[in-house]
Formats: sequence, structure tokens, C-alpha cells
Amino acid sequence: MFKKSLLPLIAMFLSLLGSGQTKTAVTSKEAKIVDEINLSEQDIQVFKEQTKQKVDEFQQYIVTLGSKDEPAEKRNMAEKEALKLFYKGAQMEISMIMPDGIVQKVNRSMEKYLARLKSLPFTKVVIKFYDIAYIRDFTKGPDGKYYSTATIIQEFTGFKDDNIVYTDVTKKDIEIIIDLVEDKFFKEKRWKIFLGDIKASETKTTNT
Amino acid sequence: MVGKSFCKRLLSALIFGWLGILINNNCDSQTIVNSQNPNEKIFLVRTKQFNEFIDRFNYKTNFNGNPVDSVFKSKMTREKIINSLFDLKDFRADLSGKNWSKNYTDLKTEFINEVLHKNILIFKYSDKIIAEAISRIIYKGTPARISIFLTQEIVGNGMVKWVISSVKGDLFNLFKPDTAYIRFIPPSSNETDFINLKRALEDVDHLQEYSSKDYYPDYLSVFFYMVKSGFIKFDYVEEVLYHIIDIPGWCIKVKEFNRNEMNSGWLIYDVSRNFSDKISYLKALNK
Repeated sequence: MFKKSLLPLIAMFLSLLGSGQTKTAVTSKEAKIVDEINLSEQDIQVFKEQTKQKVDEFQQYIVTLGSKDEPAEKRNMAEKEALKLFYKGAQMEISMIMPDGIVQKVNRSMEKYLARLKSLPFTKVVIKFYDIAYIRDFTKGPDGKYYSTATIIQEFTGFKDDNIVYTDVTKKDIEIIIDLVEDKFFKEKRWKIFLGDIKASETKTTNT
Repeated sequence: MVGKSFCKRLLSALIFGWLGILINNNCDSQTIVNSQNPNEKIFLVRTKQFNEFIDRFNYKTNFNGNPVDSVFKSKMTREKIINSLFDLKDFRADLSGKNWSKNYTDLKTEFINEVLHKNILIFKYSDKIIAEAISRIIYKGTPARISIFLTQEIVGNGMVKWVISSVKGDLFNLFKPDTAYIRFIPPSSNETDFINLKRALEDVDHLQEYSSKDYYPDYLSVFFYMVKSGFIKFDYVEEVLYHIIDIPGWCIKVKEFNRNEMNSGWLIYDVSRNFSDKISYLKALNK
């Protein structure tokens, strides 16, 4: 997928980063190289497909994490694996509709969000995702990374014994980043998909 | 697999039917789409992202986000799609309501006709798409609300970023308008090494009256200074509105409608005539 013709460019890019040139000189050359390393339309389509898989994977981890029936080890593993999908420092912004209609937002690190999800005060939790994922086209940023957003819908039901005590439907807008990262095994740079910040907003829905 | 595909076709048929009826008769969808989970169908039709709004406006993608093809075109004309991108609950467009506005309805029709007739498309990365991030800040320990206007900039070979273009908020109106007194630095002040300057600069509520007639306050610089000096602490963005002035002669405003209907998500809530360029438009927003 990754064009071999770009490898010399990347090698040059890396050597420049390691050299002792002035900051301004490196920055301008770096910018030029970032400008020149591009994914083809075909590559981007492949990444769009892979994004769906990553999002599915994330959804699966969320379901496992929230499920009180699953063994603790499996849920801990899901938490760990889910975090690996994210860019370092990814945040979860949750907006809640207050009874007076005012929207309040809370920001949490992804680590905290996932940990909280694991220990919600319900005896049983059911998390369902709709079979809808809208993924916008990828756009290149000035740092050379490619950015997109995937939107998914999650239905959450919390039980106390057999009674539903909480239910909501949230829309999750997930930032998607394709970055060129060092593959330690192959010792070369490869494009990789990461999930980034998530905006979670409660939606008004019909109770089903 | 076959079952899933059949379900998708069935769903599409239901949506087409619903949209056709909705657009023509403005009736409720709930009785038309008969499903075990209506929410899922609603979310499919909802314009979930602003990007999806642009793609639908440009007649580029269908409800599944796939490219518009001849089958889709035969069932959903661009006119129907653009109509469905308006807030259909806008009281100005409700013929049976007391707030119905002939002017607005005519303007909306004129806009749609012009878009269709000239096959106008919105450029996704246009610098004439202005995002207004209505934001909650803490100003000197008290919550306040400001608007931060962002536009897109293309860098190098098709790389894109959002940049802060302007800000608006009551707290930037530092000066009180006053027509009761004439404030000025006298013509001979230069001969006294501008002793009057101290007097003028102590008149802190009316400093702008000592400035040139060409003076225009740069609120963005004031904002940056306030953030840097700690007077303002940014909290979060409460809501985002878009002002699209990319269509010659027009301005459409788009925001997200969070409601349990297919006509929801990112929709046009206002259309008006506009002949200002971006800079003049942003300046006018601050007046």
C-alpha cells in the first residue's frame, strides 16, 4: 500500500530530523517533505475501510468493558486493548442535557473514561451500537497526518437487578488520525490508524 | 448477507417514501416507517456531520454515505435533497402557522432554484465557510459566553487547517458609547509635550474617543492578550454554527438540530442575501 518511491523521501526526512541544522532550516525542509509525502486516493479508500474495522473493534471493547457478566480479566484486557487504539492524550468530551435544557460538557482522559465505564453502579449493563457508521473523507493536515471523523450511535441501558434504571442514546464523533509511525519489527515507517478525541452527545430519541 | 442486503434495500425504500412524503406534505414520519427500532432509521437519514451536510448539499453522497448513483437520482432529486437539508420545523416556512413568512418562503425558494439552475456546489475547504464556536469561558472567575469564528486555510499542497479569524462577546465591548461629552486631545497639546495624554488615558471607559477616525478595535488581539494574561480561561465549546458565504449572493446558516426525527442533525436554519466578502462579513458580525 505504501509506495516504495516514497521511502527515500522518508529516509531523508528522518536524517534531517536527526541532523544538527538550525531549527528554522529543519522546519522549512520538514514542511516541504510533509507536503510531498502523500497517500494516494486508493490508499485512502483502504484506510477508510480499515477505519470501520478500528471503530468496530472499539465498539466491541466497549461492549465487553461494560458487560458485568464478563470475567474481570477479560474486561481488564478489553480496557487495555481499547486504549491501544488511541492516540496518546486522547480525550472524551461528554455533553449532557440538563433538565432545564442547558447542555453541560465534561472532559475526561480516555483512560479515566474507560475505567469509569468498567465500574458503573449497575448490576447489569447492556450497550448496543447501531449498524451505522458515517466516516468523512480524510483530509491532510499541515503536520502530514490525515484526519477524518467517524460517527457512531450507542444505546446504553443500565439495570438494577432486573429493572432498567438508566437508558440513553449517544452519538459519538470519533476523530480518526492516520500517522506515519516507526514499525519496530520491520524497522521502517508505516502509516497507521489511530482513534483520537471523542465527542459524545446525548441524543433525543424514541424509547425502544 | 442476502438478508442484510435485502434489509438495506427495504430501509432505503422506506426512507425514500418517508422523505418524499415529508418534503411534499411535511407530515410526521413515525406512522410511515414501521420498524422495531425507529431510532436507527432516523440516525441513518440524520445529517450526522457537517461534512455530510456538504456532501448531501452537493448531491455527492446518499444516506449511506455512498456516491449518488442513477438509482438514487431517479428517486431523490437534488431539489428534494436540498429541501430536506432545511429545518422543516422553521415557523417561517410553516404555511399553517401564524408566524409563516412569505418573504422567507420566497427567499428560500429563490435560493433553491438558483442552486439547482446554476448547479452551485459548496467547496468543502472554502475559506468562506465560517464556523462560529459559541464558547463558555471564565472571565475573572465568572462564566461568560463568547463566539470564536474559525475559517479553513489551505496550506501547501492541499493540507487544511482551521484558524481563528475573529471573536465576539460582550466582554470585548470595553468602551461605553457616550455622546454627551466631546472628548479630544487639544490642538496645542504638542507644545506642552502632551500633558493632556495622562488625562485622556485615565478616562478609561472612553479611550476609543481619543483615537483616530479610522480606528477599528481588533477584538482578536484583545482576546489573545486576555487569554495569555490569564483574564480568560477557556472552558468548552457549547455549540457550533456555520455561516456559509461561499455561494455568490447568499448566506446560509447551519446548525445541529438534536431531535427525534429524520429532519434532524446539521440543517439550514436561515438563508439570506449576502454580498459581503469574508472580512466585511466578519466585521459586520461584531457590530
